[in-house]
Amino acid sequence: MKRILMVEDEAHIVRLMTMALERAGYAVDSAGNGVEALEYLQGQHPDVMITDIDMPRMTGQELCMQLNAELPERDFLIVVVTARTEVEHREWSRMIPNLEFLEKPVSMRKLVSRLDEHFADTAVSGD
Amino acid sequence: MRTVKVSAIWRNERLGLSMIAASLLVIVLIVGLLFTYQQKSETDHIRQQGVSLVRVLSSIPYQQMLPGASRSDVLSLLQHSQANRLFAYLAVVDPQGDPVNEVTAPGVIAPSAAVPSAPSSWLGERTLVADGDGQSFLEFHAPLLAAGSLAGYVRLGYFRPGIGLHSEQLPFLATLALPIFLLTPLFYFLIKHEIRPLRCANEKLDTLIEQGDFARCEISANGGFADFVHRFNQFIDFTRNRIAQLESEQASLFTSAKLLSYRRDRVETVLLSLPDAVVVLDESGAACMANGRVSTLLGIDQDAILGKKPGEWCDIPDVIEFLGNYEGKSVRGCQSESVDFVPPDAPEKTLNVSAYPLFAPRDGAQILGTLVAFRDTTAEHLARRSSENFVAHVAHELKTPLNVLAMYSEALHGEDGQTEAFRVEATNVIHDEVERMSMLINNILSITKIEMGSLNVQRQRVKLHDLLKDAFETVARSGRSEDLDFQLDLPRDISAVSVDKDLLRIAINNLLTNAIKYNRPGGSVELVAEEYDDTVRIIVRDTGIGIAPEDRDKIFKKFYRSDKEAVRNKSGHGLGLALAREIIQLHHGTLSANSVPDQGTEFVIELSKNADLLKQAV
Repeated sequence: MKRILMVEDEAHIVRLMTMALERAGYAVDSAGNGVEALEYLQGQHPDVMITDIDMPRMTGQELCMQLNAELPERDFLIVVVTARTEVEHREWSRMIPNLEFLEKPVSMRKLVSRLDEHFADTAVSGD
Repeated sequence: MRTVKVSAIWRNERLGLSMIAASLLVIVLIVGLLFTYQQKSETDHIRQQGVSLVRVLSSIPYQQMLPGASRSDVLSLLQHSQANRLFAYLAVVDPQGDPVNEVTAPGVIAPSAAVPSAPSSWLGERTLVADGDGQSFLEFHAPLLAAGSLAGYVRLGYFRPGIGLHSEQLPFLATLALPIFLLTPLFYFLIKHEIRPLRCANEKLDTLIEQGDFARCEISANGGFADFVHRFNQFIDFTRNRIAQLESEQASLFTSAKLLSYRRDRVETVLLSLPDAVVVLDESGAACMANGRVSTLLGIDQDAILGKKPGEWCDIPDVIEFLGNYEGKSVRGCQSESVDFVPPDAPEKTLNVSAYPLFAPRDGAQILGTLVAFRDTTAEHLARRSSENFVAHVAHELKTPLNVLAMYSEALHGEDGQTEAFRVEATNVIHDEVERMSMLINNILSITKIEMGSLNVQRQRVKLHDLLKDAFETVARSGRSEDLDFQLDLPRDISAVSVDKDLLRIAINNLLTNAIKYNRPGGSVELVAEEYDDTVRIIVRDTGIGIAPEDRDKIFKKFYRSDKEAVRNKSGHGLGLALAREIIQLHHGTLSANSVPDQGTEFVIELSKNADLLKQAV
């Protein structure tokens, strides 16, 4: 079962996304902010990390930059889901490989199909 | 002084004196001519007489000429017959020249001089000079014959006529001189009379010149000079008008020069006192003027840059490149442009440089130079960034509840929507999020209106007791706070204050909402009003999570939310306190916070009771 780490501070969104992703057959772990996510990543790596940008203690941007620096060989996909759509966010996200940018409000159906697609691709290339 | 007087007299009387001198000269000349004529006339007379007389005597026999030859001596007879006063002597001499007989005028000695012996010279005349006193004589001589041969000579001498005044001539001369001399004063007075107008005019001119009052120069005369004086006055009039015209033109020029100078000074003053740093570049691109702001804004000495090109006084490549575009550019390619740059020594600042080509006022095809203005646009940049941040925040804060709404509505369509429990949950969440969005939008509108200055504050006397009580009870009844203890401490007789009750209610409502939102279970919310001499104090006190010391300066900033988890766990958008403070400041009051973390917070509003009265008085 593919494992997904969801980094999100908004409780309603965590709950809805967890429900949708679990129904789609994924295992979901959640972290409330960047610091919690880094703590999680100390122990294990998910297959995909979905993260918000605006979060307390450590933002999604800081988390991604730090991961990019600390884990240059990272093999899991990062999906940044946010309501922030400024150009500068697009710019930094483009500099990080294996990262996708989705704009809120995001459809769970689309997110799930994107993840399915991603895992199908990796399964093919892995084979 | 004496010299001046003498010269004045000489100047005035020189005509008279000259005339007297001239008349005397004329008299002398006439007398001289008379004397000369008289001398010549007398000389001719005695020559005539002498020649004829010696001829007569020559024909008398020699013997009769000898003394005692007859009873009456011929010579004595002749002497007595000579009435001529010029007669000097008459002598008979032998051929050797020795005197034989002679008669003389009294006191005269006939000069001894031999008669020339040549026969051709026997008859003649000559001039002799006496040996003693040098008396000059005109002598006529002729031979005396006896028996056909030369027996002697007769010599007749006359005093040579001289120029001298005889007493008998005096009346004649006086009669001659007097009319001539009398003509002098006559002419003098005639001339004086004729030139009197000229002299008067001259004296008047002297006086006017001394007084320097040329404007009143008007002279008058009659007689022969009237015409001249009339023309002279016309000339003076013309000159006066011309001078007045020149003075007027000069005054006009002076005024124009003053005005130009004033305008130039004004333009310079404007340029020098502009808040922007201004540099004027001439046609060659060299700085020809700069104001004092250049040194404060760019750190360049304003005088040191004069005559230099930007590359010599500016060390910022962007600026040099920008200004280089204006150097020697044609009119077609020249237009006003500006560019932002960050000074290397102050990276926190943003400056803007604008260049404006200076077209010649009457010849748009000619460029006189370039006006370069440097401005500190740091504040504008910050404001723009702040505005951009504000919009980004608003968009984000609106999208967050929208995202929740979208996800719940999508979920309701799916399998999750089939359960009753999820439908209830979704309905509650959607309701809360809509309320949150609505409050957010209201707050954004209010805070924007306040910041833009477009909010119309409608003050009225409000019973604070009623306002606070109503607001408090509305919040307490909102249903989210069943486990909190609500306490209201309002003096019933608290003074009415002049406030916009709707705005004040928003502020109180935001404070009370926060007091509930960030409280702990079983805590309390307290609303207290206190009245002092000049102020009314409204306190909202809670027993909640408190405010961390590092957050206290920031909680009133727009969109600021603490990173603390206890705060993040509550929904909010960071506008409530910012709006509350703006509203209180609009009422000339203060909003402050006292807090102990994990124990509680109190927000204190202080409103002046007299603020409105003072405002009215002013």
